[in-house]
Amino acid sequence: VVVPIAIAAVCYLTAGRLGKNVGWIALLGLAFTTLTLLVYGAGQVFGGGPPLSESYPWAGSGQANILTFGFLADNLSLPVVILMNLVLAATVVYSMPYMEKRILSLYGGPKPARFGLYYLNLLLVAAGLAGIALSTNLIELYLFLEMVLIPTFVIISFFGYVQKERVGIIYIIWNQLGAFVFLAGIALAYGATGSFMISDLGATQGSSLAYWIAGLILVGWLVKMGIFGLHMWLPITEAEAPTCFAPTMAVVSGIGAYVIARVLLFGMPSTFQGFSLPLMAWAVITMFYAGAVAVAQSDVKYIFAWSTMSQNAYSILALASFSVLGVAGGVFYFVSHILGKFVMFAAAGILLTQTGVRDTKKMGGLAGKMPFTAALFVIGALILSAVPPTSGFQAEWMMFAGVFTQGAVGSSSYLAVAILGLIATLFTVAYTFWPIRKIFFGSLPSTLEGVKDAPLTMTLPLLAIVVISILIGIYPDLVSKFLINFANGLPIGGRFGG
Amino acid sequence: LTFIIPSYFVWLIFVTPFVGALATAALRRARQVSSYVAVAFSFVSAVFAFSMLVPILTGQNLQVDYSVIPKSVPWISGPWLSGISGFKGLTMGVLVDPYTAILANVVAWISFLVMVYSLDYLKEDGGTNRYFFFVSLFIGSMQLIVLSDNLLSLFIGWEMVGLCSYALIGHYWKDETKDWVGTPGEKALGEDQAYPPSHAGMKAFVMTRIGDVAMLAGILILFDYTGTFNYSLLASTSGTWVPRLAHSGLLVPVALLIFGGAVGKSAQFPLHEWLPDAMAGPAPVSALIHAATMVNAGVVLVARVAPLFYFAVFLNPAMSVATVQPFFLTVAWIGAFTALLAASQALVGFELKKILAYSTMSQIGYMMMAVGVAGLSTDFASGLSAALYQLMSHAIFKACLFLAAGALIHAADSKYINEMGGMRAKMKLTFAAVLIAVASLSGIPPFSGFWSKDAVLGVAYGAGQYALFAAGAVTAGLTAFYSFRMLGIVFFGGRSQRLEDVEAAGHLVHEPSPVMWVPYLILAGATVLIGLTALAGQFVPSLNIEATLDSSATSYIQSLYPQVASVPSAGFDVTASVIAIIFVAIGFLAAASFYIIRNASPSRFVGQSGLMHSLHVFLEKRWYINAVYYKVFVNAPIAASNWLSDRFDFKGLFRVNDAGTVLGISLSTAGNWVDANIVDGIANGFSTAGQAISRALRRIQTGIVEQYVQVFALGIILLVLFLLIALGVKLP
Repeated sequence: VVVPIAIAAVCYLTAGRLGKNVGWIALLGLAFTTLTLLVYGAGQVFGGGPPLSESYPWAGSGQANILTFGFLADNLSLPVVILMNLVLAATVVYSMPYMEKRILSLYGGPKPARFGLYYLNLLLVAAGLAGIALSTNLIELYLFLEMVLIPTFVIISFFGYVQKERVGIIYIIWNQLGAFVFLAGIALAYGATGSFMISDLGATQGSSLAYWIAGLILVGWLVKMGIFGLHMWLPITEAEAPTCFAPTMAVVSGIGAYVIARVLLFGMPSTFQGFSLPLMAWAVITMFYAGAVAVAQSDVKYIFAWSTMSQNAYSILALASFSVLGVAGGVFYFVSHILGKFVMFAAAGILLTQTGVRDTKKMGGLAGKMPFTAALFVIGALILSAVPPTSGFQAEWMMFAGVFTQGAVGSSSYLAVAILGLIATLFTVAYTFWPIRKIFFGSLPSTLEGVKDAPLTMTLPLLAIVVISILIGIYPDLVSKFLINFANGLPIGGRFGG
Repeated sequence: LTFIIPSYFVWLIFVTPFVGALATAALRRARQVSSYVAVAFSFVSAVFAFSMLVPILTGQNLQVDYSVIPKSVPWISGPWLSGISGFKGLTMGVLVDPYTAILANVVAWISFLVMVYSLDYLKEDGGTNRYFFFVSLFIGSMQLIVLSDNLLSLFIGWEMVGLCSYALIGHYWKDETKDWVGTPGEKALGEDQAYPPSHAGMKAFVMTRIGDVAMLAGILILFDYTGTFNYSLLASTSGTWVPRLAHSGLLVPVALLIFGGAVGKSAQFPLHEWLPDAMAGPAPVSALIHAATMVNAGVVLVARVAPLFYFAVFLNPAMSVATVQPFFLTVAWIGAFTALLAASQALVGFELKKILAYSTMSQIGYMMMAVGVAGLSTDFASGLSAALYQLMSHAIFKACLFLAAGALIHAADSKYINEMGGMRAKMKLTFAAVLIAVASLSGIPPFSGFWSKDAVLGVAYGAGQYALFAAGAVTAGLTAFYSFRMLGIVFFGGRSQRLEDVEAAGHLVHEPSPVMWVPYLILAGATVLIGLTALAGQFVPSLNIEATLDSSATSYIQSLYPQVASVPSAGFDVTASVIAIIFVAIGFLAAASFYIIRNASPSRFVGQSGLMHSLHVFLEKRWYINAVYYKVFVNAPIAASNWLSDRFDFKGLFRVNDAGTVLGISLSTAGNWVDANIVDGIANGFSTAGQAISRALRRIQTGIVEQYVQVFALGIILLVLFLLIALGVKLP
């Protein structure tokens, strides 16, 4: 966490001289953290070692030590943080050529300082995300959340598209709202337990207050995940953000799935169970709504922005199912979704820079002009549509196996929700493959005759992510082993053979 | 006598084509070479498949040596399965039994021949590399379906087959009018009935996916009850889960959900409408996907799952077979109805490949009917074996027909049969192949189709399912009619105007190169060979194909439930056969009189108005099912989506943001104390910073860009410094 922050400052300071190449420094920083985590992760896989934790006293002193600043890398956080880092590292590379053009068109020249600003903020987001994933206490979590929100806001406002300042404000207001609600939950919890530690949350369970605490925390994060009714900010901000940053925004909003797993399922499981069925229903409504609206979009970026909302809801559905495979699958799906979303947005960004067009109605026949991008785009669609051999499939079946657990063995309303949820996945196929047809197949409009495929710096990061996704798709144990171990440790239902 | 093959031979049957696909992709710069590489890999795969067939042909017992690759390979670990005793994770393995061996060989060899044919058929195509990549991937995926010992890896193969079909049907992605399926401008109920290839590919993908969703739901519910996907584990634990599923009323629904996948993939009613339009792909693709392999996947799935459910109930003394019979009735009737529906549409078609497509749906219907009837009769194995028999003979003669159709379409430069005519003069070899295949398709003895159809109709008749039998027999009559109608219009009579024009333009009608005709003549030869062997089998027991297939079906069932006893083969059913032949004869004679001898006029028979004419239009418009589907499942949802997007969201919910902005502005003008009161604790430093930044931005929104860069930079640096200090000071 600390490394990206430090690198962020370096980036900002040296950008004046290095221009776009400052991205390489940023990559170095992320590569370092990823590598460290991977080495540790490999140790976990082969050695079955204990979770790694660090903690530092932070505020208060001696016995009255009320705040501990700690990090915890365990079965849940480790795969999440590694894959997030990978996606962000890919974003860093991809951003270099993309931002070059973006800055050129926005500010009329290669302004090196702008690169510094962009990478500074991007790395702060990266650090914040890793911080969220590794946090052991709620205040720390909140702090890192703010560390993600504000740089995101800056990036949208500076480098976004149509009405970027307005969109930036929409973003910050909604997200601060969510953050405040979350904070209110934290405050309540502190009032009840005298501690900010996630592991101490369990003490509140059983009291009526517990539902308020869990409810506030939940709603705070549901805003971030853009569940139906609280989603009005999400599509527009993600679509108008710079395309290279949009996948990061999918991570930012999707991480809610992780937090719900960490704070609510781990911290106060029996309370969370009370929310299970209504939350599942809410998630399914969101899946249908966002899926349907995504189908209606003709703007490439809006399609995927709406898709983020719909895909986040998958994770919510799975987590709310309150079953071992559901929880594991829900977090797995979040991870797979950001891989897929990175590929899709990045491919959309390539389209944007190479053709200058966002409207799918104005495209067509591009498979001939940019076959490599077309192939990547299709693979991205496969990840999102959960077609094997991509990671999406492994995550999806696991997730739905969990979602079905309650319904198959228990009540019919759970079963109905599960089946509806599965039906909603059909929208994903529609809103990913229909645009593919419009963009890449058919006849080429005369306006796009001169289009060329993208440079390697833009396509290589995508390729890397695709390879990772397929690797996980063929051998899911790389991720699922950790998550299933975590979920299995929770006092929740959904085991087999009973 | 035992014949031992190592287990990795079986793995290599599906791994080899996957490697072939990768090799093809890697060699994309050397296009010609890459095609041959793909063909070579498919040949190797077929050779491995053949190693499984050897013991069946020589009457030996098939045994597997698991020393290199174990029976179950660990795949997804998880202590969450500890509820099942001794079972600690998901494994992956292959099935090796005669039933599987026959299936794998049908897939492998036909695919290989299709690939050889493609070498020439696509030689002038720019996308051969992509084509051979997907065909290889497709073959590997199909073999994965056939060989998997569990539902999860089957489903993986299943989905990948869907993906490949999407890519191959949409092969001509430029959507030029000549590649469309249907006649552009053709409409039913105001809906377009002609589609560009990329549309057809997507239609296939989405429509089969509807079935897949049902299937996945079924598999997952099953998994939630059992904790496994493995067939033999499912069978051995069936004593526990089957009564529990039955108790919650989910036994038949789960089986039907899984069957939903088969309905989609095998293009059975009500998910059949994608198949006719899938003819937008190149002819060898049609042969591969829509005759020989993909559509059979559904049959394979049902054949895998049906005995699992049936015998679990059958062997349980506390349960009655009647519990699962609704499932088998549904399967049988969906099959029988699709057989009739599709055959009726084929009666009036004019696009050569579309007629064959309808015919495929119809013939697959027979297979479904056979498996369905199996569960309704006392002799399950012969139903299962009849399905396999029909699958095998159909795959061979239909692949032959599609490949020959490709040659005909190329020669006549038209996809319409009424733009051909009299072609037997110049394409004798093709005519011979088509004649044999058509006779087989029609069920004329002694060709293979006759024996396999008799097996299917025989089990229906023997099980006392007379209504199903009648549907099957009528379909047989229709089949004979449309097959010979097609043959007559294409090869007999005078040459069409179109053909004259084409020849006048210098494009002479001619046989294709041997690379193309050898494959379909081999297939025609196989049809004859199987037919003659079956005939000889009536007298020489060792050549009795039906008995061999019966025992292979039994061996599969016994691999699940060893306690099931073998039942002697039912053999040839004379009554069923005679009735069917009567119908076939009627169909054949009618077609011959209309289209071969041409002593009656079909157009006068149908007329310009009246009942026959309406019926003709009704059939031509595919019973209007396709059009209604577009209205209800495509246009209506898109309209709803647009409404939700434009009206409900953008002009409705989205307005909240404006309110939010107003709120934000009023908050900021209210002053700092508001912030202070909203947030307490350490965080307020951050939130104030956030609010301050947003305020600052609002104030200078219209200002100069440079100005706010500086302000922001300052703010961010302060933020970072604060963080660094917070960490740096406190860190030990």
